[in-house]
Amino acid sequence: MSYSQRETPILAELCTFLVEHVYGELAARVFSVLARFGRQRLGDLSRASYLNGRQLKYGLVILIQQHLVFHSPADAKYMFYEIDWQHSYALVRCGKIAKLVEDRFGKKAANVVSNLLTLGHTRIADLKEAYFPSHTDSDDESDDGIVNGVGLRKGKANGTRLNGAVEKINGTANGKPTDDEDAKPATETLANGVNTSKATSNPVKVNGVSKETTDRDTTDGSEELDDGSIGSAEELHATIQLLMERGWVMKVEDAQYLSPGDLHDIARRQAADEIFGGIIPTGTKDKDKLAAGTQQHKRRIRDAWLEVPQACTRKRKAADTDYGASNKRVKVNGGYGVSGATSGNNEDDLVVRVNPEKIAVAMRTEQLVHLVEQRLGYTTARIYQIMLRMLESNLARCYEEYPDPPLADPEKAPDNGIDPRLLVTTRDVAKQTKDLDICEGLDPHAIAQITKRTHVEKRTNVLSQPIDPSTLSHDERVRIVHKHISLLSEDPFHFVTWHTRAGYSQWRIEFDEIMKGLIQHEIENTIASRKGALGVKLIRALRKKGKLDERQTCNTMMMSANDIRGIVNDLTVQGFVQTQEIPRVERREAKHSIHLIWYDRQRAREKLLHDTYKGMVRIMQRIAFEREKVQPLLAKAERSDVVGNEAKYLSKGELEALKKWKEVEEKLLLQLFREDDLVATLRDFIGPLVSV
Amino acid sequence: MASASVAAPSPAPKQEDGAPPEPPAVNRMDLLYEKCAEKPQGTVFFQRDLSNMQVAETMGELTTLLQELCDRHLMKLMTFDGEPCWKLRSKEEAQKLLRLTPDERLLYHHIDQVQSEGIWSKALRMRTNVTQQVLTKCLKSLESKDLVQSVMSVKFPNRKMYLLKHLRPSEDIAGGPWQSEGDFDTALIEAISGVVAQFIEQETCTKVPGNWNDYAPAHRIAAVAQKKAHVQRVRDIEDAPPVRPYRPPMHPHQTKVVHKNNPHYPTAASVAEWLNAKEVIKGKVVREADMDQLLEMMVLDGRLEKISGTNYRTVLSATDTKVFNGFVDAPCGNCPVFDLCGDEGDISARTCIYFGDWLATESEAV
Repeated sequence: MSYSQRETPILAELCTFLVEHVYGELAARVFSVLARFGRQRLGDLSRASYLNGRQLKYGLVILIQQHLVFHSPADAKYMFYEIDWQHSYALVRCGKIAKLVEDRFGKKAANVVSNLLTLGHTRIADLKEAYFPSHTDSDDESDDGIVNGVGLRKGKANGTRLNGAVEKINGTANGKPTDDEDAKPATETLANGVNTSKATSNPVKVNGVSKETTDRDTTDGSEELDDGSIGSAEELHATIQLLMERGWVMKVEDAQYLSPGDLHDIARRQAADEIFGGIIPTGTKDKDKLAAGTQQHKRRIRDAWLEVPQACTRKRKAADTDYGASNKRVKVNGGYGVSGATSGNNEDDLVVRVNPEKIAVAMRTEQLVHLVEQRLGYTTARIYQIMLRMLESNLARCYEEYPDPPLADPEKAPDNGIDPRLLVTTRDVAKQTKDLDICEGLDPHAIAQITKRTHVEKRTNVLSQPIDPSTLSHDERVRIVHKHISLLSEDPFHFVTWHTRAGYSQWRIEFDEIMKGLIQHEIENTIASRKGALGVKLIRALRKKGKLDERQTCNTMMMSANDIRGIVNDLTVQGFVQTQEIPRVERREAKHSIHLIWYDRQRAREKLLHDTYKGMVRIMQRIAFEREKVQPLLAKAERSDVVGNEAKYLSKGELEALKKWKEVEEKLLLQLFREDDLVATLRDFIGPLVSV
Repeated sequence: MASASVAAPSPAPKQEDGAPPEPPAVNRMDLLYEKCAEKPQGTVFFQRDLSNMQVAETMGELTTLLQELCDRHLMKLMTFDGEPCWKLRSKEEAQKLLRLTPDERLLYHHIDQVQSEGIWSKALRMRTNVTQQVLTKCLKSLESKDLVQSVMSVKFPNRKMYLLKHLRPSEDIAGGPWQSEGDFDTALIEAISGVVAQFIEQETCTKVPGNWNDYAPAHRIAAVAQKKAHVQRVRDIEDAPPVRPYRPPMHPHQTKVVHKNNPHYPTAASVAEWLNAKEVIKGKVVREADMDQLLEMMVLDGRLEKISGTNYRTVLSATDTKVFNGFVDAPCGNCPVFDLCGDEGDISARTCIYFGDWLATESEAV
């Protein structure tokens, strides 16, 4: 079974909560049946639940639109449904994704992405319709824009089974079981980004919260320049185009709905057809060859999703120059209907969605920067951020999910060298440091040595002649940035690795090793909080030395056995330390056995991941409980006459209670998202660690 | 028995007595003893050294003298490379030995042979073939006579090792400078690692005051350009105005510690050398291996970090606030009843007192 598709009961519970939180009860009911019973047919689903076929289909449509379930290929004999755990879990990340996009591409792109997240996958034409409803159309038709687009996809993917549900998707897909008449306004508010419906409340809140923690991140200064609303269809196209080229948005294909098992079957059949002419081989060597071919086909299928359609590329060139320019906008505003018609050719039919693998890459960047900031200071962290973001568009994913099987003889592996797109030169980094105080965080002696205009006072370490970073020459800037990068490379995490001398110095980033270190770091953090420095010391000792008996442990930690025993016991109970008893005599007497303790990073990682899921479930439950306590008040506050006039209609006590509830919810949600960061570190950045 | 003396005989230059008088035979023995005692302590004498002292007149007489001395325990007979050799004992020691029982003497002999390595009581019994009772009794009496001492082995914590009283137990059984009486000397380790940490910080880090680079505030032109850019709301990357860089808030009096430019990262050898030169630990010399052990332990402690194979530096942390991670900063991460907590029941998210404290809200009463 695929590593990412293994689920635990606790993850199932968490995802059910998330689905309920975001998409309401019906979807959650269907989801929980699938979560409890696993891979199911429609008939089995209805037997296992108390839902009728109509309800089930509505529920499934929501789940499919959001990529929360897999289903069998359209030509299969039976249609099976199965939960996509990765995407289901990713619901918790919606707000974070919008924030990540905003940091990189500005508010407009964030607006588009958060709508894409809310709508699930969307036809570009429908997205355009959501932003710029064509007023000539009747309400019904504009609704059908979204609905039919989705419906058509469904129709293709599922045959005729779901066609009955198509007409009603609009309400549910927007997360609001509204009537047809209401659907139109709902779509409009959604597009403008001020939606308060249940579906988007999550992302909006997240934005507010996470901004507090990261508002020091300066982007390219575009935040002030765009207010986040998309001005024209052209602009929308250009934004989507940019996001697609950078790999943040990808097209939707049928193969994305294949569960790992189905995908494996198909890839295997393709590989067998290609290599052995359709016959499944029996020999060991041939089987290995087939396995390698299967992986290759999986990669090929997946990589095809990321290709930017040709039509778009051509279009992009035309739109490139006027992206964000105002004169064009005026013209377009006058007659966007026409312009929509001209540009709206085959690319309008393109169905797009957010690429979750890219999100993981961006989250990895953020976490690495955060870690560097803790270890080496603000300025060095910013420089690392520049390096990482330069690489981001060239990194499709954090790790290869379908790697080639390891060769029997690792020495023989063809040395392809490193992809030049994964290298960064100091010179390129230095060009982007204009608004950074790059002298900060370095030894003054280094600055004095580089600038030669100043010297360091002996005792106080103050520069005799202050250096304004904005007056540095390009060459000095490069050399100072090099000092920062050297700090990064010397750190025990080895955040960067020297490659060549091109561009003053050229660096690569060995993500796999750093990620292993990061996982270890988080495990140590957890233990430090629970058991203090002593626990961390024990784990580090075991990690360094492998399996140890008591005396060796004492020697390594230079402590007496009595001081260590308690902590060993506690960590064993918590599942971080493993024990082993090896009999030395035949009778297996405990007295004569060797008692070893050891530490397995992969086990600790999974244990911590599991605990974190559970912690997240508890937070979701607590949010529900807290909401329950103020439910009557919330009902009142959400009344349409009260919204906006809270001060008028609510008493002082009620306002207090409302404020308190907002604080509580915010605190809990913030914590939830921080736990999600931990989950990302533990789960998404590197595959299973086979050897310790 | 194999060679008991490990050291090769020191090349003692022959001391030619000008005209040896004829001492009376009774005193010859004393004379020989005196002559040997003149040499540095612990010298091993071979037959030719002794005969060169020209105390005895014939080889036969020398043999008799030596036999006599050995009987009085003033000399110890040993072999080196199959050749007999002798070592001197002090008179007090000899006195004590004289009063020993044969069993005791046998045990003493064996304990003497292992020197500072010490011998395990069980191994002693195997070699001497005495009964357990005799062994215990004799060892006790030897200890009471201040001839032997017992030490707990570090390698095998439940083994009692015996060795002669005047010897210092070897590192094998007593451990390095960090151990005393078979256990780690926590106070010493704490003190020394503090000193070492300080030394390494001096070597690899430098203190920088908050106002080390107190450059002038942005000049007027830049401010104007920035304002203009702000009003126009457009900015080309190419002609970006020299915006004053963002500076993280800092206090002029707050001193920061940063990694030194071009530092010489200390190694175990260099730290050991420094520590020995400082003579911080009284009467003990810290070898490179001992220092290696201490430094490795400090790495585990998170006080040092390893740069490349042998070099160490101080761990710096840029932020003071200690946050761990999302999980343990929430109540669940440190919850003592985490494993008992369920979706419903007495322990659940609804009834959780820790959540209640954390959020300052009421939890459901159980």
